[in-house]
Amino acid sequence: MNAPLRSGSESPADLARLRLDVAPLAPTATVDAAAEAFLEAANARMLCLPIVANGRAVGTISRHTLNNVFLRRFGRELYGTRSVTTLMNAEPIRVSLSAPLDDAARFVAARLGAPITEDFVLEDDGRYAGMGVAVDLLSALQQRVDSAFTALKASQAQLVQSEKMASLGQMVAGVAHEINTPLGYVRNNVEMVASLFEDGVQTLGEHHKLLDMLTADDLDEAALAKQIARCSDLGASLADPELLADTRALLRDTLHGVDTIKDLVVNLRNFSRLDQSRVAEVSINDCIDQTLVIAHNAIKHRLEIIKRYGENLPAVRCSPSQINQVLLNLITNAGQAVGEDGGKLLLKTEADADWLRIHIQDNGRGIAAEHLAKIFDPFFTTKPVGQGTGLGLSISQQIVQAHGGTIHVVSELQRGTKFVISLPLRAASESALAA
Amino acid sequence: MSKPTLLLIDDEERILRSLAMLFRGQYDLLATTDPGVALRAVTEQRVHVVVSDQRMPQMRGAELLKQVRARSPQTMRILLTGYSELDAVVASVNEGEIFRFVNKPWDAAELRDTVAQATNISASLFAAGPAAPPEPLQTETGQFVAPEVARPETILVLDDDAEIYHAVQDIVGTSQPVIWARDLDQALTALEREAIGVVVSELAVANHSVTGLLKMLKAERPEIVTIVLTPFADVSVFIGLINQGQVYRLLPKPLRRGAFSMSLASALRHHRVLRSAPALRAAHAVETIKAPEEVSVATRVMGFLSRMRRAGAAT
Ligand SMILES: Nc1ncnc2c1ncn2[C@@H]1O[C@H](COP(=O)(O)OP(=O)(O)OP(=O)(O)O)[C@@H](O)[C@H]1O
Ligand SMILES: [Mg+2]
Repeated sequence: MNAPLRSGSESPADLARLRLDVAPLAPTATVDAAAEAFLEAANARMLCLPIVANGRAVGTISRHTLNNVFLRRFGRELYGTRSVTTLMNAEPIRVSLSAPLDDAARFVAARLGAPITEDFVLEDDGRYAGMGVAVDLLSALQQRVDSAFTALKASQAQLVQSEKMASLGQMVAGVAHEINTPLGYVRNNVEMVASLFEDGVQTLGEHHKLLDMLTADDLDEAALAKQIARCSDLGASLADPELLADTRALLRDTLHGVDTIKDLVVNLRNFSRLDQSRVAEVSINDCIDQTLVIAHNAIKHRLEIIKRYGENLPAVRCSPSQINQVLLNLITNAGQAVGEDGGKLLLKTEADADWLRIHIQDNGRGIAAEHLAKIFDPFFTTKPVGQGTGLGLSISQQIVQAHGGTIHVVSELQRGTKFVISLPLRAASESALAA
Repeated sequence: MSKPTLLLIDDEERILRSLAMLFRGQYDLLATTDPGVALRAVTEQRVHVVVSDQRMPQMRGAELLKQVRARSPQTMRILLTGYSELDAVVASVNEGEIFRFVNKPWDAAELRDTVAQATNISASLFAAGPAAPPEPLQTETGQFVAPEVARPETILVLDDDAEIYHAVQDIVGTSQPVIWARDLDQALTALEREAIGVVVSELAVANHSVTGLLKMLKAERPEIVTIVLTPFADVSVFIGLINQGQVYRLLPKPLRRGAFSMSLASALRHHRVLRSAPALRAAHAVETIKAPEEVSVATRVMGFLSRMRRAGAAT
């Protein structure tokens, strides 16, 4: 019964580190000699001692067996001088020194009785190589599990982060478009008004010249007449009422454009809430509206938005940037589920005494029954490579659950899909949201 | 003489107002937010240039320009967009065969120049009248039918991948000679020796970018028609290929046989049109190259082309 011998890709040093150099007993040793050996300080931790012949372990003798024998009446007298092999366990737990720690631990754990009376024999290519203590193995395993868990949590956090970055990228694309449109006319208008301004400056210069001529001592009438004509030409083209009206309109548009850009930036900041505490009392209706602005570019030409917000809904204590991330995921999914036109998105909010519910419903292609159970799994996606990572819903569910809430889905093929997010009005603990 | 007509379409009225002011006085302006109105206008009257937004509620700009082209091929088409999405860029080339792709915010003087240039070209296309380019895509069947010509022009394949070369050979059969070049020098030699009509190219061969070559080629030999076949999808590279290279088609890899075969057929047809009617070549006037790394390649190509021209003059 040997543990699987695997030339480990995992570090083979793991088991070696647990190895104890225990002096073995010869098969010819007496039971008394074995009892003496257990008393030696070096063997204080050992539950059993190895019996080795020709470099190979033939069995072990355990403290427990000796105790049982010696506790019997005349036990010592009866057995003390016999060969240790009469009491030995001929099927000790043998583990190859090169076996991976996890495999060894599983193998040993499966063979340990209760109470634990045995240690395990370490072998190198079948030859005795030392002893290992079961408890050491288990605690080494525990350490391994702990660090794996920490690593898992870290990579999970990384996933959440990369999903955040992905939705950020999506957002940037949308917002870039939203900003470039006003920026387009603002820039053009400013350039045009700047050139009009130069015309004005030039005209003013000519008028000054005219004034100089009029106030000069020697008046050249011919030059004066020319200058007056020049000024009136310049003035007329600048004072063209149509041009003035259009220019005023351009300046109005320019201010409007700058305000639009300002609003977009404010919204962007609200959406990410980078400048606010992570957890706040917020209006979910506001969150939805902010998210819609961000998602606008992705959905505006595909989805008709129908809002049915509950009135006077209580504020929800939550991490708004996380809730926005959830909303953006669900709204983007809806946008991707509808065809080129005729898509509708219903956004409904309502509350009772304990819960606030957000309904996000589309009339898109729906989700097949066999997929419905998997959509919250990380990396489950039906979208082509490069379009979906399959993380959207999985992250969304985690976020909602961290808020003490739930997320449910109902869907019918070709008819549409509805997601319902329920958030508790009595907030989840702060620490759960600090992710 | 009446002013040329410029049609502006955008779903944002303020853009229209701003552009109208920019072009005020020099053009007869038509400004609308409605694609239907725009399409009616190009059918009913002579419109020289259309400047269209990409994202509009009723219709995407690339689609609109495709329809403009079908109705009035002499009308030059410019796409003005707030955010260049890959799909839009590719569609505007393959379907709209647009003249320029301009990003918002634009530079007023540059846009004025671009529109003026487009107007001149359009005017000469209208003047050329019946020789105006046919509708290559509308008559497409997908089956490659090589027309009878006395001296078939050569197709140059510029790609590391032998498969592309073989695919082209398969498609055109024995009707057209096909040459495979695996680096810039081989390509230049082929251009020197053969009457190249169509170039099928990757963005890079033997680890060297060939976009500079493609652009320079269009500037110097506008009758050569280019199909770019690449798995890479870099929006800014594509826009460069449109504005400075007037690339005829942008097709993705892996190769889709049907679409490629159709593109090859219409590229050949387009080349013949350009060869027979030099006036039409103006429609593919290109912007000057801006990227410094492309300029060096361009200078090389330039030197070679002028050598070739001198050699041609000597014979
Ligand atoms: N509203 C919906 N209508 C139809 N199918 C949906 C809808 N929402 C989600 N799905 C299905 O659930 C799958 C998983 O969604 P999820 O948001 O987790 O990932 P994704 O959208 O594919 O990729 P990502 O969100 O990372 O871009 C989707 O691929 C899709 O098949
Ligand atoms: Mg998603």
